[in-house]
Amino acid sequence: MLHKLLELSKQPLFRVGVLVLVLAVFSGLGYGLYTTQTTPPQPIQFPHSRHVALGIQCLYCHPGAWRQASAGLPSTQKCWGCHQQTPLTQTSVELQKLAAYAENGMSIPWVPVAMLPDFVHFNHRPHIAAGLNCENCHGEVGKMGIYENPQVLNMGWCLTCHRERTQDDPEKRIKLLDCGTCHY
Amino acid sequence: MTKKLSRREFIKLAGAGAAVTVLTGCGPAARYVRREPYALMPEYNYNGQSTYYATTCRECPAACGLVVRTMQGRAIKVEGNQRNPVNLGKTCARGQASLHGLYNPDRIRNPLKQAGRGSGNFSDLDWEAAIQVVSAALKENRPSEIAFLLGLAPDHLFDLVNDLTKAIGAPAPVRFGALSMFESRVTLSQAAQNLFGKAGLPYFDIGRADLVFSFGANFLETWLSPVAYTRGYSQMRKGQSTRRRGTLIQFEARMSQTGAVADEWIPVRPGTEGLVALALGRLVAEISGAPLPKAFAGVDVAAAAAESGIPEETLHRLAKQYADATNPLAIPGGAALAQSNGLKNAESILALNALAGNLGQPGGLFFSPAAPLPDESHPASLAEMSELIQKLESGQVKALFIHGVNPVFELPKALGFEKALKSVPLVISFATFPDETAMQADYVIPDHHGLESWGYQRALTGAGQPVLSGAQPVVAPYYDTRATADVLLAAAAQAGGKLAEALPFKDEVAYIQSRLLPLVTTPDGPYTAPEINTFLASFQQYGGWWQNGEALTTPVGAPLEKTLAPGVAEAHGKGEFFLLSFVSPVLGEAGANKPWLQEIPDPTTTVMWNSWLEIHPAAADELGLHDDDVVRVVSEAGSVELPVYRYPAIRPDTIAIPFGQGHSAYGRYAQGRGVNPLDLVYPALNEAGDLALAGMKVRLEKTGRKQTLARLESRMGVYGEDEH
Repeated sequence: MLHKLLELSKQPLFRVGVLVLVLAVFSGLGYGLYTTQTTPPQPIQFPHSRHVALGIQCLYCHPGAWRQASAGLPSTQKCWGCHQQTPLTQTSVELQKLAAYAENGMSIPWVPVAMLPDFVHFNHRPHIAAGLNCENCHGEVGKMGIYENPQVLNMGWCLTCHRERTQDDPEKRIKLLDCGTCHY
Repeated sequence: MTKKLSRREFIKLAGAGAAVTVLTGCGPAARYVRREPYALMPEYNYNGQSTYYATTCRECPAACGLVVRTMQGRAIKVEGNQRNPVNLGKTCARGQASLHGLYNPDRIRNPLKQAGRGSGNFSDLDWEAAIQVVSAALKENRPSEIAFLLGLAPDHLFDLVNDLTKAIGAPAPVRFGALSMFESRVTLSQAAQNLFGKAGLPYFDIGRADLVFSFGANFLETWLSPVAYTRGYSQMRKGQSTRRRGTLIQFEARMSQTGAVADEWIPVRPGTEGLVALALGRLVAEISGAPLPKAFAGVDVAAAAAESGIPEETLHRLAKQYADATNPLAIPGGAALAQSNGLKNAESILALNALAGNLGQPGGLFFSPAAPLPDESHPASLAEMSELIQKLESGQVKALFIHGVNPVFELPKALGFEKALKSVPLVISFATFPDETAMQADYVIPDHHGLESWGYQRALTGAGQPVLSGAQPVVAPYYDTRATADVLLAAAAQAGGKLAEALPFKDEVAYIQSRLLPLVTTPDGPYTAPEINTFLASFQQYGGWWQNGEALTTPVGAPLEKTLAPGVAEAHGKGEFFLLSFVSPVLGEAGANKPWLQEIPDPTTTVMWNSWLEIHPAAADELGLHDDDVVRVVSEAGSVELPVYRYPAIRPDTIAIPFGQGHSAYGRYAQGRGVNPLDLVYPALNEAGDLALAGMKVRLEKTGRKQTLARLESRMGVYGEDEH
């Protein structure tokens, strides 16, 4: 049995076959792994750049940022409030999806991009109150299509900023570097 | 596979499996859930945060303030409004359960037209057509042929309808509620008028009293303003450095929830409450050594003891207690006044307060302050209701509008309301739920639920200050309902002429603003505002408007100089038992469609989801009745069948049935459950025109059937076999 296999392995066709098989298995595994590590597609290819270029403020669609923990996503009605009046809505293929959501009274199942683990309690409100602008953390959204995080939102990044901005205020520093400020 | 897996290999494989799981599980795709933003965002909503709204409870007319927690446009929890002087942050179970009204699956969801009254054959109507119906009814009938029947809440709607009827010269709207009938409010007000020259609901300062004689006043349950009086009671019970813990003595034939927490329960024979009060007054006067006041001179203590069934020694002991108390207080409750001699009973009991010298004193008797807005309404006595029914029956009324009350259920059947409706060509109901009256209407034009409504309610009693409790919607209306005030305003505008001139308001809120206008400049409120819009914002935020500081007034007059002779009440009908129907402490008059309330065990018997008949075990033994035996109760007016509950805390000559169940409509939770004791009540009146509800004699017949009552006591749910 073993002898026969050894014989077979000397044939080039058999070697190529084995190689193809191994490659197929590995690429299958790799693809499977890849899909678990990438974000799913957005329901609508939303161009932030276009909206910012029209002069729409961030807080117009994400008004939660200045008054609550979550910045919030605009309701379908809010999108439709403007879009039902714009001529582009009639012609754009992408906007037909929005029209369908609005007509059926459905919410748009956006995929969140900037997100933190459940053990972090992030609150937008104090950050805006401290005088930060959206782009300080979220980058040049006005130049992006679908939003992408400009950096990894990890603890080191948070603390670097908290340290820098509290250099002159020891009391504030203690508060802003305390574990319980975000992990409670 | 022939080779056996070794332990080491198994652990290796398991480890590899776990690693793959962790690797893929940590990936973004597993974390990236989809977000579902609103399709239509509710106003003032914060993601993940609750919004709180102050409003007014509509479950009874006491005007308790509520603060309702809402989340994503849904009302999720009701609590009391801490600022409202009536309830100071507390609510009763009925207030808590108002959510079950809001989310009730049987709510009327859009205007309906019924083909054939009582048929339940409803067809949908659009709002334009519904308003057209109302408008035509107002315009095409002569003013004298229009009648409005309103509930005790809300007040803003009464004011609007009152303005409307005044403008066209129609009869003023009639206000009625089962609570006012059971509490004999008209009698109480009339007694105050007779003794002190001023009609109105007295305020009993239970909180600062140290001895309370309550003659059947169930103030911990549904009486007048139960949350306010419960607070007063708890204050009375707290010992303070300056005052000892107060004592409560309850005089009533059947021990109520209030009687159950009293220090002593005196089972007085129904109809002799006034006599007992006079006898006690005489003994108190004798103990104090002062000359005997005229009011108490005519009573014979021994005869009173014999009539009431209270031993003379007990009367002496109680009189001593009353004379020794620093701040004694006597309260006339509903059952004592719902007798043929009810007015005299009320006067006699109120006179005990004058004897104690507690008029206008802390822990004594006051007049409730007048509400901040002028009030032209009063609850209709049964005499006024029968007048209305006669008008309906004679065909004088061509269009009847009903809002906020369910007279087919809440009036004694013998009064014939349902029959009288047959003579009215057009009956329009504004009911939120398909209640018995809505089932007898031609059109049902549904109002919002109370938690979806604007409005205000005057606190008639319960607070030391003048209080106007404000209501605002805590959620957007869930169904295609419309505020009745808006419907009437739209109909008036459509009708044109005098109607449109009298009510030139664009909507309900504009009308409320016009009514609140005088308060903007009234000093001494909790906030100030330069103009009405700012005022309304504060009115909504605070949940109303009230004056700072007490404004209770002292009753004046010489009630002790009056001759009082209540005698013994005449009982109607034949039979061996007095019938006492009392408002269910849990359900109230309209709580039967709320499962939370149905599920609460009755405080004294622990029965749930049903009606029961309370009978003393001795009397039951005589008749051979056991728990859960179904009996037929027969009176002059009718008969009902219900299971027996052997209740030791009732007089052997009295039986009791709670009021609140026995609905033939009113949705899936209420319908076909229990009986309505008002089917037994003969419409005899007292001198003030209130129903002599408690002076009724009935007899019992065995049916030989059994029906197991669901109750908490001595049972594991309804399935336990352990009969006690």
